[in-house]
Amino acid sequence: MLTVNGIRDDLMATTVLEIERLTKRFGGVTAVDGVSLRLEAGRIYGLIGPNGSGKTTLFNCITGVERRDEGRVVFGGGRIDGLKPWEIAQKGIGRTFQLIRVFPELSALENLLVVTRDNLAAARERALELLRFVKLEELRDEYAGNLSYGQQKLLEFVRVLMREPTLILLDEPAAGVNRTLLNDLLDAVRHLRNQGRTVLLVEHDMKVVMGLCETVFVLDHGEKIAEGAPGVIQTDERVIEAYFGR
Amino acid sequence: MIRRGAALAALAAVVAGLAAYPGFASGYGVRATLQIFMWIVLASSWNLISGLTGYVSFGHVAFFGAGAYTGAILVAKVGWPWLPAALAGGVAAVLLALVIGYPCLRLKGPYFAIALLGLNEVLRALVSYFEGLTGGGNGLSLPTLDATIPIYYAMGASAASVTLLTYVIITSRFGLRLMTIREDEVAAEAMGIDTARHKLYAFLLSAAGPGIVGALTARDQGYIEPISVFPLATTITMIVMVLLGGKGTVWGPVLGAVVLFVAQEVVWARYPYVHPLLFGAIIVAVVLLMPRGVLGLLQSRYRLPRTI
Repeated sequence: MLTVNGIRDDLMATTVLEIERLTKRFGGVTAVDGVSLRLEAGRIYGLIGPNGSGKTTLFNCITGVERRDEGRVVFGGGRIDGLKPWEIAQKGIGRTFQLIRVFPELSALENLLVVTRDNLAAARERALELLRFVKLEELRDEYAGNLSYGQQKLLEFVRVLMREPTLILLDEPAAGVNRTLLNDLLDAVRHLRNQGRTVLLVEHDMKVVMGLCETVFVLDHGEKIAEGAPGVIQTDERVIEAYFGR
Repeated sequence: MIRRGAALAALAAVVAGLAAYPGFASGYGVRATLQIFMWIVLASSWNLISGLTGYVSFGHVAFFGAGAYTGAILVAKVGWPWLPAALAGGVAAVLLALVIGYPCLRLKGPYFAIALLGLNEVLRALVSYFEGLTGGGNGLSLPTLDATIPIYYAMGASAASVTLLTYVIITSRFGLRLMTIREDEVAAEAMGIDTARHKLYAFLLSAAGPGIVGALTARDQGYIEPISVFPLATTITMIVMVLLGGKGTVWGPVLGAVVLFVAQEVVWARYPYVHPLLFGAIIVAVVLLMPRGVLGLLQSRYRLPRTI
């Protein structure tokens, strides 16, 4: 069905990621319940929802950290559900984690170098450029574990960029980051979008979501209850109900 | 550059000194140095899997024992010369690591440690059981041969090779990728690192050295039995040497092997009863006071390069 007619193919050209009826259960709890969504190239998407609504689980299912129970995930024209996390990463999906996961006893520079197999000199140049970009160049030889929380967050962010992913998943990029840093980070995300990359971010800071995302998906109890432009989402009754109760 | 040159010159002097050493040394001196070489191989090999990837192997002596029996059987039953038999010991250990590593490296933390501990006990039982080939509990005697000095050089070459291998790995991105497994395996995978394959490679590399020196030790001692080549204490000693010197560093295992061996020799000769006490005290002191070991401590404090 996907390859039969020309119209579908045309759509495929701009579709980066397609999730179809994805379900993930933990024992009796359905963390993600039949969620479908489609991401197009060169756009910034937001994924919001109350705590425990399944946002991070959905991230984990996309990146292979968790194995989905039902449904399919198509990326770059092929199914990726069932692949190992590193295979998915090599296909071009990069992610950050809700709780920072840098490599603490590797230096900032090593944190970046280690994720690429490009020629070392080129990788080094790119890594230094990225460190300059987030103003960590001076700290390149410092162990990542000795950096401040905000600095580690930035390091994790640019580590994702080392592989030049086509799709970038950011799990709460704004949490615990001061205003100045946050603005830099948001500029960086827009810059990535302008390069034709796609960004999907989980975020609790509504100002960030509303100011940055072009399309927002809302999850509640594992189900997608709304999808649309930020302005529309804000007035959606189901969304308001999910956040504030009836 | 100058410091690098000086370090290389010092290293060359040490190697030359050790190469000339049997020419003027006492029998005891050669024998003790040979054992230091063996411990350098064992400690550095353990460092390759456990120091770098954080997968703590509590059964590493299994590869030593497998190499010892392979070498001894080839020499005693098949009539091979000891040098090819030693290489065969290394090959046997790597094959064993391949068979064991594939299922065991999926286990995390203490489960991996315990699985390897079990492997060692299983091997010891198997060796005791197949009496026809191994001599069982009675042990296996090798034909008499005085090859202490050639074996000294073979052990020395093994120690140099494993140290060089460690240097090459740790200063490469392959080594960094191994360290990401220790640092955060989930993040490593999310960054596109095939951790399963990397762990297996490190495990295979870590088995070769113990296999070779196991076979050399069997030849050198002329007699082996299950309890002499599969003792848990040997694994513990490797671990303590690496922790003392600095896990995940190039020279830490070498430093730990030399210091601990010399300390043991001195104390053991003078105060045999204090020996286990000293050993325990070192373990406690290292874990409490400098969990990264001597070089690890210096490395984090003075930001030394990974070439140390």
